[in-house]
Amino acid sequence: MNVVSVAKRDFLDVRRAKLVWAPMVLYVLFMLLFYWGQSNSTNPDFYMILWGLAGLGGALVIPLAALVAAYLSIAGERESGSIKYQLSLPVSRTDVVLGKLLARSTVVAVALLVAFAVGIVASQVFVPDMTVEYDAYGAFVALTLLYALSYVAVAVGISAATSSRSRAMSGAIGFFFVFNIVWNFLPIGPVRMAEFVLTELDVSYSDALLDLIFSLSPTGAYLNGMKLVFPGDFSALQSTTTASDVFYVQGWFMLVILAGWIVVPLMVGMWQFGRTDLG
Amino acid sequence: MSAIQTSALTKRFGDDVLAVSDLDLTVESGEVFGFLGPNGAGKSTTINMLLDFVRPTEGSATVLGYDTQEEIEAIRDRIGVLPEGATLYDRLTGREHVEWVIETKGTDDDPDAILERVGLTPDDRARPAGGYSKGMSQRLGLGMALVGDPDLLILDEPSSGLDPTGIQDMRSLLRSEADSGTTVFFSSHILSEVEAVCDRVGIMNEGRLVALDSIENLQDEAVGDVTIQVELESVPDSLALESIDGVRQVSFEDDVVTATCVAPSAKVDVVRYLDDRATVTDILSADTSLEELFNQYTGETAESPDEMQPEEVVA
Repeated sequence: MNVVSVAKRDFLDVRRAKLVWAPMVLYVLFMLLFYWGQSNSTNPDFYMILWGLAGLGGALVIPLAALVAAYLSIAGERESGSIKYQLSLPVSRTDVVLGKLLARSTVVAVALLVAFAVGIVASQVFVPDMTVEYDAYGAFVALTLLYALSYVAVAVGISAATSSRSRAMSGAIGFFFVFNIVWNFLPIGPVRMAEFVLTELDVSYSDALLDLIFSLSPTGAYLNGMKLVFPGDFSALQSTTTASDVFYVQGWFMLVILAGWIVVPLMVGMWQFGRTDLG
Repeated sequence: MSAIQTSALTKRFGDDVLAVSDLDLTVESGEVFGFLGPNGAGKSTTINMLLDFVRPTEGSATVLGYDTQEEIEAIRDRIGVLPEGATLYDRLTGREHVEWVIETKGTDDDPDAILERVGLTPDDRARPAGGYSKGMSQRLGLGMALVGDPDLLILDEPSSGLDPTGIQDMRSLLRSEADSGTTVFFSSHILSEVEAVCDRVGIMNEGRLVALDSIENLQDEAVGDVTIQVELESVPDSLALESIDGVRQVSFEDDVVTATCVAPSAKVDVVRYLDDRATVTDILSADTSLEELFNQYTGETAESPDEMQPEEVVA
């Protein structure tokens, strides 16, 4: 109940901050661009639009939107001191962390849902001939919301564990850099490193193992989770993922990894926030 | 049951800073208690420990009978707090702030009645708090503290940022809260405000409680000399005022005799003595001022408290 009171006040406050809506405007603009692109194609393919959104949203827009919406949620209040007004009321520190998660997730989810609704309208306007696969679209929206939630949880966790705006910002940028750009997109990522080390040691390994390493970041899990959205014969997906029966490269396991990225950062943030001195 | 009780409460920051040292303090229900001391004396750290913002290194504290670390939510349910140096939520209006507190505490207060009480006009209530002056923010903060008619008000430097009218308003508000049975605990480095409203004061210096009593008693016990000035029609040649017990020093300036006494009782003897030997036209008596008292306990020189650094050494 106290979690809700924290969340309501925070939602009222943060929805008036214009900055939190900016990344979503970006998302909508790219979405419109993809629809427009398909409208120029002779054989418009709805899945190509989703594929483009998965890549761009996964790599950049969703993390950006979630981090911007949540990285200051607690650290900002500690720096300004307003956390003292909050904690003078009958709420616990755990209530504050969970309330912040609820409010900031709601902001990001509302923004995403508006963006996806705009997408449906855009498809009718730009490419009326194209078949919209509503089932796949629904799965895509759900997976993207889960991905966004994991990034909001990471940002709230970082915010709970840091005492100032600047540290929270360094933490958020650092996380994005390591667990997104380096992990999934640079040739020096852990997948390449594991490959190198295992080869040097002359240990045999499977592609599925490398694919699991790729999936251990939220972004990797989101991208490999697209197996749940796209049909099995979608060529772009086939070329980027490993076909294997091992459980840890299946689509459902990506959901488990994303859930882990919600629970673990929050637990760490709550533990650190719970024991710290709020000067 | 005591409103506040601390036992051997100690807080260290790092290895070097001893912010609060072995504090034993009891505030009784229904009293108005002034928590005095220069900036950096450990007042805010003590208050932060009472509110579980900061955890004690040693010792413990109870507020309204509840342990500050184990039962903090029960405490927060029953107290009103005006934190020091805290900003409000810039994008929320004054009214929204009070509504939020009412909802969180689950009380049925009327937000407008509360805002009226602390002197925020209907126009101000509807504006975002980001545009408030320091004084308006303090008024709103005080209003938020009053929600739910708390048993105990903990106010950290409540008069900071208030103009004289604001200080006056706050004083009468605290008085009326106290009259209705609320215990008031507030910190200040401004002495005049304490003198006017407090039943009892505690003086902190360098993390230690150096005095704890009513202001009257503190003045009586003060080791400082008291002076009395007696104006005479004309000063007789030989007075030998020093022969009176308790008179330490005598000086003359025109027709005014100034006698410095070690105890207040000697002042009466001085007046009687002079009245027997000359025509007394005026008497001026000066008690040890609260300011001197404060300086004696805190080792400050005759610096006015308003000129002290506004910065707390330990937040």
